[in-house]
Amino acid sequence: MKFKSRFAGLGAILALGVVAGAAFAQDKPVAGEVKEGSLKGKTLTLVSYGGIYQDGQAAALKEFVDKSGVKLLNDGPTEIAKLQAQVESGNVTWDVVDTDDLPPYVYCGKLFQKLDLTKLDVSKIPEGQVGECSVPAMNYGVVLMYNTEKYKDNPPKSWADFFDTAKFPGVRGIDGSGSPTGGLLEQALKVTGGDPKAMTVADIDKAIDVVRKLGPDTIFWKTGAESQQLAESGEADMLMMWTGRAMTAVKNGAKYAPAWQDWLVVMDQMTIPVGVKDTDASYALLNAYLGKHAQEVLAEQTSYTPINSDAQPKVDASVAAFLTNTPDRQKQGYKQNFKFWVPNFAAAQEKWSALMAGN
Amino acid sequence: MSAHEPTTPSAPKRAGWAWRPFALTLPALVLLAAVIGYPLLTIVLRSLSEPQWGAQNYVWFFGAPINLTVLQRTFTISAWVTIVCVICAYPYAYLMTAVGPRVRLVLVLCVLIPFWVSGVVRTLSWVILLQDSGVINSLLRAAGFDGIRLIRTQTGVVIGMAQVLLPFMILPLYSVMKGIDLRLMRAAQSLGARPSRAFFTVYLPLSLPGVYAGAIIVFILALGFYITPALLGGPRSTMLSTLVQTQVLSLLQWGRGGAMGVVLLVTTFVLLALAAPVMRSRYREAGRS
Repeated sequence: MKFKSRFAGLGAILALGVVAGAAFAQDKPVAGEVKEGSLKGKTLTLVSYGGIYQDGQAAALKEFVDKSGVKLLNDGPTEIAKLQAQVESGNVTWDVVDTDDLPPYVYCGKLFQKLDLTKLDVSKIPEGQVGECSVPAMNYGVVLMYNTEKYKDNPPKSWADFFDTAKFPGVRGIDGSGSPTGGLLEQALKVTGGDPKAMTVADIDKAIDVVRKLGPDTIFWKTGAESQQLAESGEADMLMMWTGRAMTAVKNGAKYAPAWQDWLVVMDQMTIPVGVKDTDASYALLNAYLGKHAQEVLAEQTSYTPINSDAQPKVDASVAAFLTNTPDRQKQGYKQNFKFWVPNFAAAQEKWSALMAGN
Repeated sequence: MSAHEPTTPSAPKRAGWAWRPFALTLPALVLLAAVIGYPLLTIVLRSLSEPQWGAQNYVWFFGAPINLTVLQRTFTISAWVTIVCVICAYPYAYLMTAVGPRVRLVLVLCVLIPFWVSGVVRTLSWVILLQDSGVINSLLRAAGFDGIRLIRTQTGVVIGMAQVLLPFMILPLYSVMKGIDLRLMRAAQSLGARPSRAFFTVYLPLSLPGVYAGAIIVFILALGFYITPALLGGPRSTMLSTLVQTQVLSLLQWGRGGAMGVVLLVTTFVLLALAAPVMRSRYREAGRS
């Protein structure tokens, strides 16, 4: 078949490139590569959030496990408090930890090791995603989903519409699963005329006030499953949702559509805790995880966006509609003001918790 | 304990034998010390020592109005849950004593089977039932009551928690009620008491120890509830456990989380100590009649 042969040709070129690259820089790590039998007799524990996500990560790492001879254990869910207990007691059993967006920045050097980038091939990671203590685990988005039957010809187009209950009446659903989403608060601040780029602690209160003004009908969902259920049952008219959940809800027949403008860019992070027994083995796992093939497997199994820019996962149309790495989506995405949120994480969490507790 | 308590004739007089029952409880005591005592002590210590030694965590707790609101709400919700449980469980437990063995088996299974189902599953079923587009609201709407919000309200949380905790009320009640001699009721009626009078002066006082036992278990379990209020409730029904979770797991403020736990524990003890004299006098009354 024509398609197949073209594909094979592409594979050959890529393989050549990899070989050539390896020949030129012998000790430089290449994403996805590991030396045969190099970790024989060793054990690594990967900690993540379970479910199809961690199953997908395990599948993505299968090649690495087979080749290196390492024994891979899975544990979870990730809890920073548990990690802190391990680091404090000097008995760290988690070798590689998948975390939320912010923790690797907030606890960099304290709970998470500063990464030595000579041991990792980060050349294929999208720009601006490698942190001092983390590489991305996958990308996804927080997107505004609206009920197409309710808003018909006049759908909301942006977060400004989401916060405008006069022009767009209806019940709102917001992520109340734990930490505040920085991007959402920044969008709320914009409504008041504030500038997220020059955000101050007082602006957090202003932004939270905008959320509070959405009224007592507002639903703060606690789990991704709940947000999906809210869409499928039509309980909320506009929902802030994770792209994976939004995709599944639409697949299941929810009459909702995304408003992509300023979708919030979020990611999971991969980290190595302070005090792991075998740092090099952890690096080897990370480096294999960043590989093209591993990322394709991950995307195909989980529908999350791969973080290796060469990856070409084969997914069906319903999944592809919610992948966030297409050129169009990349243009529409909104990145939160990391520099502000990292030092103000605790303050934001405190204020957000008060809102969550009905204050 | 008290002087007028009857002593069993077979009670051993030799002092050397007295330690034996205590020796048998030793495994339980060791276990309690290891899994309750030690962690509790750690919590108290950390609440006083993190980040520095001092009462800062308690000062913080009582200085933030939100904490006090939530503490009070935790007790209010637990009290409502206890009341709802007593009202639902009392007739049910009575029915269990009044029917034949076969029907009783069915009734016992009706209590126990939900008890074996995970609390999360039961809570999620309540989400489906209570939501605005759910069964209960559809029925209410058909009956002409529109716009009644159950989910994400305190009412919804109380309904869900009461259902999850009901077995803890029914079982102690039943175990007390089945020991009550129903002939006493007949005796009262044969002496001229109306059935309601016989119930209130004879049966109810005799069953009160069961009510107290069940109520205390339900109330204390309700105070620490986490998953049901988190899933069925909204911001206005957040309970203290959720705030503790935020402090401990999201902010790594273990000292503050510990202080919150200690405040909840001490408040509970104080309330129980206040309730104890009432209960004790009732027990005596029940014992005398």
